[in-house]
Amino acid sequence: MTPTDGHVDLKGTRVRYSEMGSGDPIVILDPGTGMISALREALSRRYRAVSLELGGFGDLAEDIRPKSARETANLVASALGGLAIGKYGLIAYSAAGSVALWQALQAPDDVDTLILISPVALLPTGNPLSAPREQLVAHSENAGGLTHLASEEAVRMSALTGGGVHDAELESRLAEVSCATLAVFGQNDMMVAPEAPRIYRKRIPNCNISFVYDAGHAILADRPEALISAVSDFIERRETFIVGRESGLINP
Amino acid sequence: MKASYLGAMGYSQRHKFPTTWPIPPAYHDPETSVRSYQEGMDECEFAEEMGFDWVSFSEHHYSGRIATGAPAVMAAAVAERCKRVKIAMLGQLLPLNNPVRCAEELGMLDNLTNGRLIIGFLRGTPNEDQTYGVNPAEGRGRLFEGMDLILKALTEPQPFSWEGRYHQFRTVSVWPLPVQQPLPPVIVATRSDDTVKYAADHGLGLGVSFVPVEQMGAVTDKYFQWCADAGWRPEPDQVVFRASIYLAETDKQAEDWLAKRTGTGPVPGGIAMPSSVSRAISAARSGEEFDLRNVLVGSPQGDVVGVARGLNFMGGPDTVVEQIKQYRDRCGAGVMDLFFQQPGVDHQEVMREIDLFGREVLPRLREL
Repeated sequence: MTPTDGHVDLKGTRVRYSEMGSGDPIVILDPGTGMISALREALSRRYRAVSLELGGFGDLAEDIRPKSARETANLVASALGGLAIGKYGLIAYSAAGSVALWQALQAPDDVDTLILISPVALLPTGNPLSAPREQLVAHSENAGGLTHLASEEAVRMSALTGGGVHDAELESRLAEVSCATLAVFGQNDMMVAPEAPRIYRKRIPNCNISFVYDAGHAILADRPEALISAVSDFIERRETFIVGRESGLINP
Repeated sequence: MKASYLGAMGYSQRHKFPTTWPIPPAYHDPETSVRSYQEGMDECEFAEEMGFDWVSFSEHHYSGRIATGAPAVMAAAVAERCKRVKIAMLGQLLPLNNPVRCAEELGMLDNLTNGRLIIGFLRGTPNEDQTYGVNPAEGRGRLFEGMDLILKALTEPQPFSWEGRYHQFRTVSVWPLPVQQPLPPVIVATRSDDTVKYAADHGLGLGVSFVPVEQMGAVTDKYFQWCADAGWRPEPDQVVFRASIYLAETDKQAEDWLAKRTGTGPVPGGIAMPSSVSRAISAARSGEEFDLRNVLVGSPQGDVVGVARGLNFMGGPDTVVEQIKQYRDRCGAGVMDLFFQQPGVDHQEVMREIDLFGREVLPRLREL
């Protein structure tokens, strides 16, 4: 299946998106890592998977260009309005997690499921947008597929997502996130403090946290199958994904 | 230095067992078995009384020689008798077990002992891969994932799910957490480079079993270097040597005992399996092809696998102190975990050895 590319006009600027598949809409926010294609393809078998290029928001005119994750979330909501997709599941990768959380807070009627993959909104220990690729993976041989943002792009994307800075206001409002939420972390993620995952679980009323063994920040580079399995399962079953379905039967 | 008594709980009639593994349950006599466990616990209690610092337990299966297939059960029972010593689980066989279950047992034991637990991680001898039908080729991977998951389960204060290679748990929320925070001391029992490095990188202790001093030294040299690379230096209690011992009043008495033993039964610590099976396990562990057609039949006696390395310490008190001192000086070992229940050594003899060790050896180890 080949993705369909398109764009939405937003205050005079064209913001690109790609979509694959049909069904209930899933929106994927990627801060330019180039890693989400495998996830999008897997989801497109059952859903309409729409990925939005956050970098496009950096092309907006200076006076309306977002300067925080919260402002970027407002514009993402506007852009999605242009796509007329109604309620959607929202997946955010890495630094885009802050944008997605603000979106869930500001558009609670639109976001019905929220999945944060390696979010760095709370207690970051590094900025994944500018960190050396080798620091993003558990195994250096998996770093080859990662996109390395030029320093100028990293700065611009950091401004859009709040990448690498703890968002205290966001933390104080996590209890208002009302949708089913999954926060997934690589067991060896060096971009967030070990205490960060438990904050999501403790503060967000309906939140699961998941650790992917033997994966760094870039889980899609280290263990893509494990991540896609957990994400797909959560989208399908939300908080009931904890209920086992695999048969242990060997010989009936 | 410190001393640990390995609570093997050997079946008192173990000298009648065949040399092969597993030992058929037909050898089990309930009355003898009950008495053997009682005697084993008496030994642990007496070891505490004589000044031993730890009592340890080790998971071994399908053999009455070390009859602790469920070591947490044994540790809990002994912990009710022994109120001072550390209770050292050295350790659970992680490739065989559900790591979450292991974490729950460890959490309970640290609570039941009010913070006297020492944790040990172990891969196990080749024969034990077969206990629960685990593929030997996956043992290493299961060990590493098991260690990571247990450490996470014992330290994470919020429920979480785990997407592993060998384990998927969508709800992990271990209760109770350990009394010792953030973690009880953890010993990784291994001689493999990658596992030694894991211990060093994670700030964990190291355990080595039954090898000659130079062989252990080669392992601890790497361990200390990798710990230094990771920015820390292990305490003496974090380097443990598990050893077989026979202690007599004099060297002559010990030599006489050994002479009587020679040629009269299985060598100390031997585990034997049909050679076809042991070769298949070895091949799976090392990733080699195994062609059964090249093995016409398993040899009747079997191949000895596992821990058949004879005695590490043997002699009178002076000699044994010197032998132990070599491991302290060369390897930095700070804890001796001692296996007294040699083949043909009965309960009374073990109690005599514990008494002698406590009077004549342990005070001198304290001064080292």
